Amino acid sequence: MTLRADVIDPGAGDGDAAIELVGLRKVYRKGKQTTVAVDGLDLRVERGEVFGLLGPNGAGKTTTIEICEGLTVPDSGRVRILGSQWRTGVDDAIRARIGVCLQETKFHEKATVRETLQLFRSFFATGRSLDEVLDLVSLREKADARQSTLSGGQRQRLAVATALVGTPELLFLDEPTTGLDPQSRRQLWDVVRAFQDRSGTVVLTTHYMDEAQQLCDRVGIVDKGKVIALGTPDELIRSLDAEHFVEVDFAKEANGSLDAAPFAALPDVAAVAREGSHVVLTVRSVHTALPAMLAMASAQNLPIAGLATRHATLEDVFVHLTGRHLRDEGKP
Amino acid sequence: MRARVVLEVARTTFREFWRSPEAVFWTYGFPVLMAVVLGFAFQPGALPPVPVAVVAGEGTGPVVASLRQEARLQVEAMSAAEADHALARGRVALLLRLDAGEPVLRTDPTRQEAELARLLVERTLRGSSSGSDATLRAEVEDRPGARYIDFLIPGLVGLNLLGAGMWGVGFNLVQMRTQHLLRRLAVTPMRRAEFLFGYLLGRFVLVVPESVAIASFGVLVWGVPCRGSVLAALLLATVGGFAFAGLGCLLASRTRTIEGIAGLMNLFQLPMWLLGGSFFDVDRLTGVMRWASEAMPLTHVNRALRDVMLEPGTLADVAMPLGILAGFAAVCFALAMRLFRWQ
Ligand SMILES: Nc1ncnc2c1ncn2[C@@H]1O[C@H](COP(=O)(O)OP(=O)(O)OP(=O)(O)O)[C@@H](O)[C@H]1O
Ligand SMILES: [Mg+2]
Repeated sequence: MTLRADVIDPGAGDGDAAIELVGLRKVYRKGKQTTVAVDGLDLRVERGEVFGLLGPNGAGKTTTIEICEGLTVPDSGRVRILGSQWRTGVDDAIRARIGVCLQETKFHEKATVRETLQLFRSFFATGRSLDEVLDLVSLREKADARQSTLSGGQRQRLAVATALVGTPELLFLDEPTTGLDPQSRRQLWDVVRAFQDRSGTVVLTTHYMDEAQQLCDRVGIVDKGKVIALGTPDELIRSLDAEHFVEVDFAKEANGSLDAAPFAALPDVAAVAREGSHVVLTVRSVHTALPAMLAMASAQNLPIAGLATRHATLEDVFVHLTGRHLRDEGKP
Repeated sequence: MRARVVLEVARTTFREFWRSPEAVFWTYGFPVLMAVVLGFAFQPGALPPVPVAVVAGEGTGPVVASLRQEARLQVEAMSAAEADHALARGRVALLLRLDAGEPVLRTDPTRQEAELARLLVERTLRGSSSGSDATLRAEVEDRPGARYIDFLIPGLVGLNLLGAGMWGVGFNLVQMRTQHLLRRLAVTPMRRAEFLFGYLLGRFVLVVPESVAIASFGVLVWGVPCRGSVLAALLLATVGGFAFAGLGCLLASRTRTIEGIAGLMNLFQLPMWLLGGSFFDVDRLTGVMRWASEAMPLTHVNRALRDVMLEPGTLADVAMPLGILAGFAAVCFALAMRLFRWQ
């Protein structure tokens, strides 16, 4: 039946990909207010890759992931998960092959970690042993602690653990490391990489640039319900006209006489931005732009209070594409 | 349906409940407590004497004296105004005044005590004037089964089934929905029927034992009879409980907030508390009230439980209410399964 649909429908994919989304659209209506959560989104995630969805709050990441999980029904568009489509009579078969960690879930408050995992384990015909999963997320010492006594990070790890108790081929992790301490985050990265090593596919969302850069094979930047950039983290950063930044803090007393515009004419400087005495040069190569900038500053008699250079991040890619920051609350 | 999954869901559900002492108390301890308190409140005992007012005046002395011979009357002489006020307020059941030497009895016929007061006063006055009234033999009915406590205990069992079934099942379902647990479960290969069945099982293990506890308490402490088939009573508790659980499930199938489910529960429970026959006999109701009462599952549970406990009712005697309740439960569950939303 699905085979026939494949043949007559030119829009249907080849079924090789882990996820194929075509023209996905989801609108929420509440009274007169309509929110376009996903607005014609196309995406293809290959098997065996760790794919990251990056975007500001409300970009539509969770909605997209939940459509993939079969929790949300899109208004239009095509969804293929591991070659199958939701609501064609194979839902439970798809569910047996995916592992899910929702953005927020409270498990049974009075159940212990082990009991919660045991419940989830019972749903799957095959899967890992509880001890194995406990070790994966480093919750062995907390195995007999009740959910209500766990810290936020421990709850988060339990949520990830429930996604691993079966033998998923495809893992959905919606902000799995939000609220975790750096050590737990790294632990979780290891879990993801170990999962990938066994030829698993992972789709995750995150607000952490370093996480996306270090963990993801490919990243899709989502804004207002669309994928606005797609590629490996390196590709995305290299797509910037200039991928280095020179940040200069001039001494406060120079504020009045400071004119940042001439810096733009220096070699290899692509752009200049100024905020008070703080000037940011976007440069193609630091070793040519930096000496020129220093020379101009001393020629103009502008004392320098601080100087730093940094490599561009995905955040800069987002700012470049939208003119806004990923996180409302300012720079990460 | 996979038994392993059903049992695991049941186990988790039961544990969640059992480990919450407050929930256990309000669901199961409270009804027992109510049986104790109401049992004491309605302990069988002699009725208090009927209060009667005599308007003091010329010639009332002998009347008062003779009425005071009757132990079941509590006679008070007072002024006309006072007596009138006492009657209007219902503090006395009867007002007696002498009109040209002839006694006139004034009562409010809507009060139950009024007729009793009139009969007692008439008989006492006639007996004292003629002195030849034959004393009728009186017997006291004190067998168990006819007392209010006997009526009440099956009604409390019914209320317990109502509370445990509806609150126990419906409330938690909505709570699991609000904390996104249901949608997390929905993305696993667990099926809807496995979940609902296991969940019910987990919530339900204690309902029948609890009914047995309340009934046994009544039997052992208050001497309430249990004359009919114990099997029929157990079956009634089970099927009745499922009927309420079905209703709870149905109400919770789409409700999204705790406030919403609390409101819906009250909407359905309050009329049943009033008209479901737990506290008084609904067979005396007429018209719309009777019709409403007959439409309530609690009415059928209570009536059938009384048939079994107070009269020697057999399984065959309660087959009809059992059928009605089973049908009600089936319809509720079928609807709940159809309407059920994970999120
Ligand atoms: N159930 C819903 N009803 C109405 N609007 C919704 C609903 N779910 C999401 N939205 C709206 O859809 C948009 C996308 O939401 P979504 O949760 O997908 O964002 P997100 O990218 O996951 O954001 P975040 O980073 O904050 O998790 C938002 O504007 C949100 O308000
Ligand atoms: Mg989200």
